[in-house]
Amino acid sequence: MPAVEMHAVTKTYARRGKSPQKALDDLELVVESGGVHGFLGPNGSGKTTSIRVLLGLIRPDAGEVRLLGRPVPSGLPDVIGSVGALVETPLFFPGFSGRRNLQLLAETAGLPRTRVEEVLETVELRDRADDRFKGYSLGMKQRLGIAAALLKSPQLLILDEPSNGLDPAGIRDVRELIRRLGQDGSTTVLLSSHLLTEIEQVADHVSIMARGRCIATGPVHKVLAGRSTGDVRIRVPDRAAAAAVLTAAGYAVSPTADGLLVSAVPAPGEITRVLAEHGHYLEELTPVAADLESAFLALTAEPA
Amino acid sequence: MSAVLTPPSVPTTAPAGRFGGLLRAETHRLRARRFIQVLLGLAVLAWIAVTALGLLNYEKATPERLAAAQAQLQEQVEQNEIGRQQCLTDPSLPPDVPVDQLCGPPMTAEDMELSWFLDPTPYSLSEEGPGGAVSIAAATAVLTFLIGATFVGAEWSSRSMVALLFWETRRPRVMGAKIAVVAVATLLVGVATQLAWLATAGIWQAVAGDGVPLPDGFWSEMLATHGRGALLALFAGLLGFGLTNLVRNTGAALGVGFVYFAVVESAISGFRPTWQPWLLTTNAAGLVVPGGLELTIYTDEIDTQGNSVVIEHLVTNLQGGIVMGVVTAVVVGVGVVLFSRRDAQ
Ligand SMILES: Nc1ncnc2c1ncn2[C@@H]1O[C@H](COP(=O)(O)OP(=O)(O)O)[C@@H](O)[C@H]1O
Ligand SMILES: [Mg+2]
Repeated sequence: MPAVEMHAVTKTYARRGKSPQKALDDLELVVESGGVHGFLGPNGSGKTTSIRVLLGLIRPDAGEVRLLGRPVPSGLPDVIGSVGALVETPLFFPGFSGRRNLQLLAETAGLPRTRVEEVLETVELRDRADDRFKGYSLGMKQRLGIAAALLKSPQLLILDEPSNGLDPAGIRDVRELIRRLGQDGSTTVLLSSHLLTEIEQVADHVSIMARGRCIATGPVHKVLAGRSTGDVRIRVPDRAAAAAVLTAAGYAVSPTADGLLVSAVPAPGEITRVLAEHGHYLEELTPVAADLESAFLALTAEPA
Repeated sequence: MSAVLTPPSVPTTAPAGRFGGLLRAETHRLRARRFIQVLLGLAVLAWIAVTALGLLNYEKATPERLAAAQAQLQEQVEQNEIGRQQCLTDPSLPPDVPVDQLCGPPMTAEDMELSWFLDPTPYSLSEEGPGGAVSIAAATAVLTFLIGATFVGAEWSSRSMVALLFWETRRPRVMGAKIAVVAVATLLVGVATQLAWLATAGIWQAVAGDGVPLPDGFWSEMLATHGRGALLALFAGLLGFGLTNLVRNTGAALGVGFVYFAVVESAISGFRPTWQPWLLTTNAAGLVVPGGLELTIYTDEIDTQGNSVVIEHLVTNLQGGIVMGVVTAVVVGVGVVLFSRRDAQ
């Protein structure tokens, strides 16, 4: 049973004094159970709107939505106890401590208080759990949001851009946590992000959003398959000699303003080796927009 | 020994929590709100202050003080009679006018009250008790309006109203729990302030009372007033809740409340006096005041003698209760319907 199914879902926001904004355009999205499913798309592509529709927070204009097999919104009450979500920014009482905020939610769901301590431990917030929420750093707020989403021991965990506002260490911790949850076999994580690298690092499957539609979906390694043919831009002291060496080694080389462009490089490390063997040392090696990235950009770009 | 593979268990999904959990969480949320704690603390301080002030300003009517007052009253009557006699014997009086109109009617001790000659006066539970309960009900209504408004206002400003929908997707339930908790809390506050007033009046009567025995039916009238006062606290709390829930912001709700009570009601009283029986304050008072609120309305109409037509209108306890109840239900109900229908962001 898929964790998430959205068929022909359309949502247009009415905007006061402006033309209506179409946020979801005949969206088709299926998230199979298990693992981490990346939900990738540039800002404004409709990721948050899809998640809000999934959770019954907003009503789509048309389409069919199922969450853990139940129709949304009518069947939501039957499954909401198994769905944890963090949508955009965490929503808590600023004047209450992190612990109290979680305790109130646990009470709402009839969960034991020990569960609060467990999730505080998971996100490493126990030391600061008695401080007021409004005194937390952005990263701590985000972690408390994740803790709240984990409270229910969810079968489906929906995280909407969870690394927003985190420092590099925080981002690493959150990605580590997501990867761990995705591997436990009982949790499906739907991870929305506008960062290609994030999805690459933690997701097994990916769906790419653009302009309110899902434009590509599948296992990350398949969607990423074209990546090894990426182009590489290099700079060397002696351009002509290096070009000759690389051409002899079978690479397609073309000159650029201040260096060389080597096309379809399976492993950039090879270039370094080939050149070094002939006494050329690289000043710079930059992968040109990797294929997924360029495909991603091309697919998701606004039509001119 | 070979490892036994447990078959992948079919995951059973968990439903939303029970309504009782929602109620408990809302109760805790309300009790933990700092602003509400401060409001209640201030109310307790105000109560202590009023009680102390009363003890300073009222003084028991001892037999000696009563005798002195009696003597003063008697002296006043005599002085008046002396003056009247002088007036009657004045030769310049016009003969065709009744003497009582010129020199006033004869005065007796019954025309005056003994308490006028007691300073400081003793407290009179029999006369001032119910009126005090009405004043306390008015002050409590302001308090519970603020409690209801700030409670739900904080939910909107922190957007935890939306966060709750991740836990209970049935929006009428989310609202229902909040309404139930605000209703019970404000009713309790209403009962508490009425009891506090009863204690204050009792202390004043015991320490600085007039010693007059309470008339028949006093306690039933007093208790009924207390009850209606507590009911007003409930309506005011829900009105504050409902209004804030509509505009989704405490400050804006208080602004709307201020404009209504300070501007709209005065304007209506001035320009459309015949609408007065339908104003909120009129009906709030009508609900609590023993026997209902007597309105004297000076209309714009002029009768044949050139006087403006005066209408006497009684806003009964029942009318006050019904109007307050209907208005509260509509304001709260519209908020619930909008919350259930609109997108939550
Ligand atoms: N409440 C709203 N009112 C009007 N337009 C909105 C609203 N929320 C989102 N949008 C618009 O809908 C589109 C999709 O937004 P969103 O779902 O937030 O995208 P994402 O989460 O992928 O960044 C955007 O063009 C955005 O401006
Ligand atoms: Mg978003």
